[in-house]
Amino acid sequence: MDNLVTSNIRQRPTRTLLSVAGVALGVVLIVLNTGLVEGMLNDRIRRERGVGAEIRFGRSGAMLSPSSSNPVDVRYGDQLMKIEGVKLVSPVGYYIQSGNSGLGMEIVEGVEFDSYSTITGAKIVEGRAPQTDQEVMIDEFKALHNKLSVGSDIQVFGETKKVAGIYSPQVGSRIKMPLSALQSALSADGKCFEILVKVTDPDKQDDVRKRILDKLPGNEVLLTRDIGVGVGREIPGIKGFVRAVLVLSVIVSALVILLAMYTTITERTREIGILKSLGASKGFIIGVIEKEALTISLIGVLVGLVISMIAAWVLERATTLQLEFTWSWILRAGLIGLGAGALGALYPAIRAANKDAVQALSYE
Amino acid sequence: MDAILKTENLVMTYRVGKVDVNALRGVNLSVGRGEFVSIMGPSGCGKSTMLHILGGLLKPTSGKVIVDGEDMADMTDAQRTDTRRRKIGFVFQRFNLFPTLTAEGNLQLAEQIHGKGKKIVDEETRREVLRLLRLENKMRHKPLELSGGEQQRVAIARAIINRPAIILADEPTGNLDSENSEIVLEMLQKLNRELNQTIVMITHNPEAAAVAARTVHMRDGMIVGEE
Ligand SMILES: Nc1ncnc2c1ncn2[C@@H]1O[C@H](COP(=O)(O)OP(=O)(O)OP(=O)(O)O)[C@@H](O)[C@H]1O
Ligand SMILES: [Mg+2]
Repeated sequence: MDNLVTSNIRQRPTRTLLSVAGVALGVVLIVLNTGLVEGMLNDRIRRERGVGAEIRFGRSGAMLSPSSSNPVDVRYGDQLMKIEGVKLVSPVGYYIQSGNSGLGMEIVEGVEFDSYSTITGAKIVEGRAPQTDQEVMIDEFKALHNKLSVGSDIQVFGETKKVAGIYSPQVGSRIKMPLSALQSALSADGKCFEILVKVTDPDKQDDVRKRILDKLPGNEVLLTRDIGVGVGREIPGIKGFVRAVLVLSVIVSALVILLAMYTTITERTREIGILKSLGASKGFIIGVIEKEALTISLIGVLVGLVISMIAAWVLERATTLQLEFTWSWILRAGLIGLGAGALGALYPAIRAANKDAVQALSYE
Repeated sequence: MDAILKTENLVMTYRVGKVDVNALRGVNLSVGRGEFVSIMGPSGCGKSTMLHILGGLLKPTSGKVIVDGEDMADMTDAQRTDTRRRKIGFVFQRFNLFPTLTAEGNLQLAEQIHGKGKKIVDEETRREVLRLLRLENKMRHKPLELSGGEQQRVAIARAIINRPAIILADEPTGNLDSENSEIVLEMLQKLNRELNQTIVMITHNPEAAAVAARTVHMRDGMIVGEE
């Protein structure tokens, strides 16, 4: 029977190739998308946790989903400075634009460079800090991957700006501009997204947080170390997106296998009649077709994984996208590919098993 | 003689739209163990229908079909399939080999189905069958690389390899030239004599019928004579 399975697979190379491609596509969809979500999330969490401020102060409910609304009055900064244990503050504004590679989204931060640099340790390594509203600075990673250098053009707010400087290390977003320029571009004078708070004694950050909450109630006060542990992983819409990708790839893989096996069993009607004349049970016939579908699906899964790895390699070099593959998603993608293949083959297999033996034998 | 196959008042009516086609109208046939019976009759007289019922591919409208002690007319589809697996070997006019498999692969598939995955055919029977059919050197070939006569010999080997109680052959020489027909008939006769294999063979050719010890004549869905 295994012989029958493999000989059938080899006999129809085009059909086999198409089915393999269908399953591989499903696997690529899952692995690349979850890899991107995982990679971008972790990358952003790493950069957010590296800002050097133990506490971030913002508007309730707004802080975990970055948006271009800047609801916080920068004058909260002065009030924060008066609270015991606060060493330094620095307001940060947000503008969200679609990524310049066309993929994903990109955050542009507006910062007051002196205070920001003191808290985060970000230093200009090339050029100088941006001074006008026509200038921005970028981190070295972006400079490297987008092949940008001091003096390069860059799109922000749909306008062409100049890269004035490159800073290091990577903290927060990858593009920064003067806060005042961001405010005027968004007509949000005196506003920001959040205020970074550096404390005098990191061991007492919990106490400082409580004091801030007491003095300035109604605001959100997050500890940077909590970002990415539970709360920070909840980017709105991500779960739905991942689920949609899963459903889509199951449908694609199952449908391709369904169509492939369906045409196959029609072509092989007489062979099914022969199996029946030899005394093969329905279970045996279903088994033959399922084995064939599973073998094709397995090849599709392997091909899909290889393509995903290559695509990830290319994407990471050509864009600032970061991908992280986890074993659990690779495993799930594999099981989904096999499961969808088995599912897609089920209907054709049952139809084959239920064919009338005499009619099948006289099929031309 | 000990009957290995027996039908009692076998009736088969096909329904085509609103019309009933009486393919078999009460057939009583008895075949003894080790017998070689040929069946002759004009086209459309019900020969294939009877053979399909004897092999459990069709369920008769009424009557009994007793194969090696089991009444197949009473059985469910799955039970008939199982009886077929254990007791019947089919040979068809169109050879019906799997084109993607070698001769060896075709035999193995039949053995696998028969043994439900286990290998239960003993090597000696296998060698004997291949020797009688002169197939020892053909086992690595695919059907398209074999002549019609050779393909039919592989099909016969496949039918007999599991040593079924009965071989049912529907015009096994119908697609062969006279030379190959002769070889195939001669081999069927050898299998019958040397392995005591029971064979029921449909044929249109009187010369072919002559190799069988007994010929049954059919007409209009009934047996009308024997010689
Ligand atoms: N599936 C079917 N549906 C309806 N009628 C059928 C069916 N199969 C056979 N018949 C009819 O039953 C009768 C007997 O057919 P059968 O095939 O048994 O004849 P046969 O003796 O084998 O003929 P031939 O020598 O041409 O092979 C014919 O009239 C045929 O038209
Ligand atoms: Mg016929």
